[in-house]
Amino acid sequence: MNRPGLRSICAMIVLLCGLLPRPGLALDHDNLDPNRPIGMEDAYAIPKGEIGMEGGVRFNDRREGSTRVTFQPQIIYGAFYNAQIEIQGDLMSDPHTLVGAAKSGDLHLGLLYNFNTETISLPAFAARVEVDLPTGVNSKGVDTQMTGILTRSFGRLRAHLNAGYTILGSPQGQERPGTYRAVAAVSYPLGYPTSFRDTLIASLYTRESDLRGQRNHSGIEIGLRHQLTSRVVLDGGLGTEFAGPADRAALLGTIGLSVGF
Amino acid sequence: MMRPPSNRLGALVVLTTVVFVLAGCSQFEPRDKRFYYRAFWNFALREDLAELDSEFNGVDFGHSNLYENLLLTGGKDVPAIEDRARKETLAFIATKPRLNPNEEAIAPTYMKLAWRAQNTFDEAHALHRATYDIMASDEPDKDRALRNVLAYYRESAYAITAKRLDHHRLDQLPYSKTFRQRFPLFNATIWSYHYLQVAVYDPLQAARDLAAKTQAVRPILATYRRYLEQPPVEWTFMPLTAGLSPSFAARYTEIANIFDNLHMLHDNISDILASELLPTWDAKRAEIYRLVDTYYLASADATNPMIVRDREHHH
Repeated sequence: MNRPGLRSICAMIVLLCGLLPRPGLALDHDNLDPNRPIGMEDAYAIPKGEIGMEGGVRFNDRREGSTRVTFQPQIIYGAFYNAQIEIQGDLMSDPHTLVGAAKSGDLHLGLLYNFNTETISLPAFAARVEVDLPTGVNSKGVDTQMTGILTRSFGRLRAHLNAGYTILGSPQGQERPGTYRAVAAVSYPLGYPTSFRDTLIASLYTRESDLRGQRNHSGIEIGLRHQLTSRVVLDGGLGTEFAGPADRAALLGTIGLSVGF
Repeated sequence: MMRPPSNRLGALVVLTTVVFVLAGCSQFEPRDKRFYYRAFWNFALREDLAELDSEFNGVDFGHSNLYENLLLTGGKDVPAIEDRARKETLAFIATKPRLNPNEEAIAPTYMKLAWRAQNTFDEAHALHRATYDIMASDEPDKDRALRNVLAYYRESAYAITAKRLDHHRLDQLPYSKTFRQRFPLFNATIWSYHYLQVAVYDPLQAARDLAAKTQAVRPILATYRRYLEQPPVEWTFMPLTAGLSPSFAARYTEIANIFDNLHMLHDNISDILASELLPTWDAKRAEIYRLVDTYYLASADATNPMIVRDREHHH
């Protein structure tokens, strides 16, 4: 990993830790956002008026090539009822070797809109629209992504489906101009009826490879979100890709935290 | 063979169309969660009077657990409510929870049945929490802080009316008293929660500093814990704020009215969930929403027949 990248990640971690407020319920461990800790989300936005700071470090130990480390700082804001705005800027190690939409340092803007709450007969639906501005290393063109999200509960078990499509603004070389992604996931609150601090999440996903002629990345992830205080949620996750290109992930790991205020 | 991007975009358009078509469905309702009023005194109760805060966290479990169990058992299974569900609640309270529980994990079915009513509760509970935080904090101008949180609360479309409602008339609906007659122990446990929630205001208001506040709530906590062990089944009506915290009710009449109305709504919904007069989940949902829309939400003030008008009050 290059030294400037490492320094940036360390600086962001220190900054985030320094912003931790006094223990005081705000950010909800049962409200699932992408990468916190695994690559799935539920159909609900944070409450109107809430501000959340989220961050994490993701390790991707690839079958070929060096281990990639990503720092994922993000600010989310419940700007309207049922809508959250997100600003994110992932920082990645070995930024010059990246292919696909995700580039180190890209400014990522997102809007998640939840259409409805779940009822006896209807699941909850949401849509996410995102743009990646080419502010990062080797980044060209504005990438856009749209995702449909569905959440349905069965007792305390909640099932989630995410289906998204990314369009690259300026594909380079063998990069595909567009890729799809599909995730099926479940989440379950641990500890009922005496504890309500932990949510277990597991997912199965497939996504189109970034380069033409390669197989889909397909894998599984499992994660845990733990409500540490009223305002702070810790998360951790592990995963592996069982099919895909030669440089697919052998082991994925994420740790992170979210602070709501 | 790879499908062209336009086909995939087409699939997304179809998905979005399906969502909008579903919007015409009668069960399509918005989530509309709102963050609490942000202030420096947020969580003052949790940080400074943790013993009392812990009891309120237990109370949060009680209502949701009751509603879920009433719904799933059809409101007829006495041992399931009086014995199992009540003891689950007492067991949770006994854990002295440091954080309020996730109510959607406690009552996933009820939340899907009557989300709008739950959101009404959530907003009022946030007002409850804010008032405790203000009382527990060293905020120098508590009147102003309480006015601000009340104003913020009243901005919500889910705000309960701040007018005094005729609770005795609201307790004479066709299904009223079903819950308390069939499940007297759990009903008295619920009323014990409401006792705790309103009895602490005057002592907190009168205490000058944190040590005095800690001491002031101790006798109330002792009484509340005695009620949990031996539920006051002899009570014939829910505790009212003016009876237990008269100074608070006189000074902050609108807030006191909201809390009394909130507690009455809890009783009404328990009766609806327990009543055979509303035999299906759809019928229960429709009656809960009719009740909330007609008699409880502040948006119905102009036409609400349950509001006690001044003239009636003076009589």
